[in-house]
Amino acid sequence: MKRLIVVPALLLALAFICAPVSRAQGLDNISLLNNPPTSMWPTYNGDYSGRRYSPLKQINEKNVNSLALAWAFQTGARSLETMPLEVHGIMYITAGNEMWAVDALTGRQIWHFMTGRPGGSNKGAAMYKDKLYMTTPDDKLLCIDAKTGKELWHIRIDDPTLKAFGGSAPLVVKNHIIVGTGGDTADLPGFLLAVDPDTGKIQWRFDVMPEPGTPAWNTWPHNTDVVKRGGGMTWVTGTYDPKLNLLYWGTGNPHPVENGAARVGANLYTCSIVALNPDTGKLVWYFQGSPHDTHDWDMNMTPVLFNGTWHGKPRQMLAQAGKNGMFFVLDRTNGENLLSEPFVKANWFKGFNKRGEPIPDPIREPQPDGTLVWGSTGTDWQAPSFSPQTGLFYVNSQQAFGVFYLTMPGIHAEGWAGRDFFLYSKSMMKAIDYQTGKIRWVHDYPGREGLEGVLSTAGHLVFTGGSYDNVLALDASTGKTVWHTFVGGGMSTSPMTYELFGRQYLVFPAGGTIFAFALPNNTAAKASPREGR
Amino acid sequence: MLKKISIVFLFSCFFVIAARAQYPPRPPKPTPEQLAAIKQGKTIFQQNCAVCHGEHLTGGRGPDLIRSDLVRRDKDGDLVGPVVTHGRLDKGMPPFSLSPSEIADLVAYIHSQITVFDLHTRIPGGYPNDIPPSQLATGSAAAGRAFFYGAGHCSECHSPTGDLAGIAKRYPDPTTLEQLFINPAGTLAFSPTYRKGVTITATVTLKDGKTFEGPLEQNGEFYVSIVGANGWRQTWPRSYVKSVVVHNPVQAHINMLPKWTNKDMHDMFTYLETLK
Repeated sequence: MKRLIVVPALLLALAFICAPVSRAQGLDNISLLNNPPTSMWPTYNGDYSGRRYSPLKQINEKNVNSLALAWAFQTGARSLETMPLEVHGIMYITAGNEMWAVDALTGRQIWHFMTGRPGGSNKGAAMYKDKLYMTTPDDKLLCIDAKTGKELWHIRIDDPTLKAFGGSAPLVVKNHIIVGTGGDTADLPGFLLAVDPDTGKIQWRFDVMPEPGTPAWNTWPHNTDVVKRGGGMTWVTGTYDPKLNLLYWGTGNPHPVENGAARVGANLYTCSIVALNPDTGKLVWYFQGSPHDTHDWDMNMTPVLFNGTWHGKPRQMLAQAGKNGMFFVLDRTNGENLLSEPFVKANWFKGFNKRGEPIPDPIREPQPDGTLVWGSTGTDWQAPSFSPQTGLFYVNSQQAFGVFYLTMPGIHAEGWAGRDFFLYSKSMMKAIDYQTGKIRWVHDYPGREGLEGVLSTAGHLVFTGGSYDNVLALDASTGKTVWHTFVGGGMSTSPMTYELFGRQYLVFPAGGTIFAFALPNNTAAKASPREGR
Repeated sequence: MLKKISIVFLFSCFFVIAARAQYPPRPPKPTPEQLAAIKQGKTIFQQNCAVCHGEHLTGGRGPDLIRSDLVRRDKDGDLVGPVVTHGRLDKGMPPFSLSPSEIADLVAYIHSQITVFDLHTRIPGGYPNDIPPSQLATGSAAAGRAFFYGAGHCSECHSPTGDLAGIAKRYPDPTTLEQLFINPAGTLAFSPTYRKGVTITATVTLKDGKTFEGPLEQNGEFYVSIVGANGWRQTWPRSYVKSVVVHNPVQAHINMLPKWTNKDMHDMFTYLETLK
């Protein structure tokens, strides 16, 4: 009898000794990123896959109702787009030109960094060993000492006088800091950079605009310089498959934005997912989710990686819910299209071509006297989530109706070249069955205009922000609300989760505040303390 | 109904969309000397350039100067100056003989307009308007009139001699008029909230049988709120509420949304343009 008690006690003690939370430190072991422990959220998406699924289940559908505030951290920013990182008990939070290091157990500030003026948004940082990386509204890449919060160096990404902007989270792949860029006022060509983590030297550059003479080059007209003037910005963090050694990144819309006549053709590699070799920046394959876009439907939305069965056979897949309202499933080894299906009502396309790409209907291109378009901005950059537990892809979506005017016809058009207005929009979460593209359930958000990111967990829960400044937990199978709380500010990013000292924390950035929820200590102790390690 | 909807309200709709966009930092205020140059430059621009580049610099026959990378890279006229004095004959732009000080004023004006524009970037309501009504009036006024009295069901609530008399004059921006007749509540139409311009009301019946009526503030998943007869907000948890009957004065517009075709829209605009 005695022995029976001693053995579990020893095991429990051993579990605590092995817990990776004992001492704060940097991300020394970069291979941790291939399979991060549940005590960490070390990248923008939590891991390389972009699934935003956590195996933690201490908080689950049975006890989520007793969630309570563990701590809150007030940044003083008006709103936050940040996706906090959490590494060895320290959380890193960004806004505009600012970063905070905060104790992830207590919410107390460790340091605050600011360069330039306050204001502007930022989607999050990246960590490599004891250094942090962030991009700024004026499109610089900063390297910051994670221990002290002091800037070590910075480099210019692109020219802010042409309204290029930073703000997306870099991605660490081996010894490469992968950085994207944004901008859609002047005509800027998009690109991705790989930067040396220690020196800031550029290792490679991938240009979204194709090389002269290639087949992709011929998807642009050559009677003007439009192909050099670009588009195809790279302002949302991509994903990575360490086994295939492929980097997946979404690209933005072509320019001039709303004039299609100035750029007859598919306009590669805009509005595409590009699969790159992360060591060389060379293109391995692409899939263009919105060929010849004329509606500002960037296809930068997260390429979500998961493995599963497809028609009975195991497949390595990639799924994306695009701004154009289309849901795609691809074979991520080669870009082969497995499924294309709209997830909103859309009147702008005439079906799919052989590659599974939508064929745009010319009459829904912006017209001088206006054209009515259903299905504008089906979703935005805020991250979706895929749960291997349910096989469902969760995306916050809007059903929108708008009118698009061409204000600058002709082949010499520049910039926006048109104007568009929403006439109606309604927001909801949709749970998509990846095997069929069919919507399994819909959760309506009455009275809400925004879109928020999503997290799913093995606790059979889906977390997001909802109507009237609430944060929500939904039943992963039915979409029914099982918990909510009013946080008094909108959420424009995604929830995240991690476990420290046997307690699962659930974090929502909302308004200018980071809210961390957990089960009360006695409840947490009862619910399997070291689940999901 | 159109009469009740103010432009201010419409712009508030746009701010909802724009709330997600990124705001650039506010630039320093121009000095009195700079302001004088900008004023001179505006006159020069309107006399020489507006006919092709648009009254608001956003393009027309000639390129959009607000988003032009050449103009944005320009420093004190180093790039714009030569284009003005030599023209761009290959693209159909003639040379202009302006003095260096005139060019300096012109360039100051152009850069000031870029600054103004950048402060409003991605706010559709903040875009300068270069669309003349004739650009949208491509339909048939007779067909628009027939739609008004027939398939559009417009005449059930509106009259061309009553609330819509002179409507084309009241909304000089044609895209505003077009948005208003399709959906006067804009993107907020689905939102059962109380807003200046469109007042959505509700009758709330509680489980104990009491009823309340007033402007609807929130018809959410967890709470229902109205502004009560006494002017105070009243909120009930959903579990206390038996029913909420929403009275949306623009519901007829919402119901019409899926039925609009481009032709209906162009005909309708052309018809409304005759109501001056």
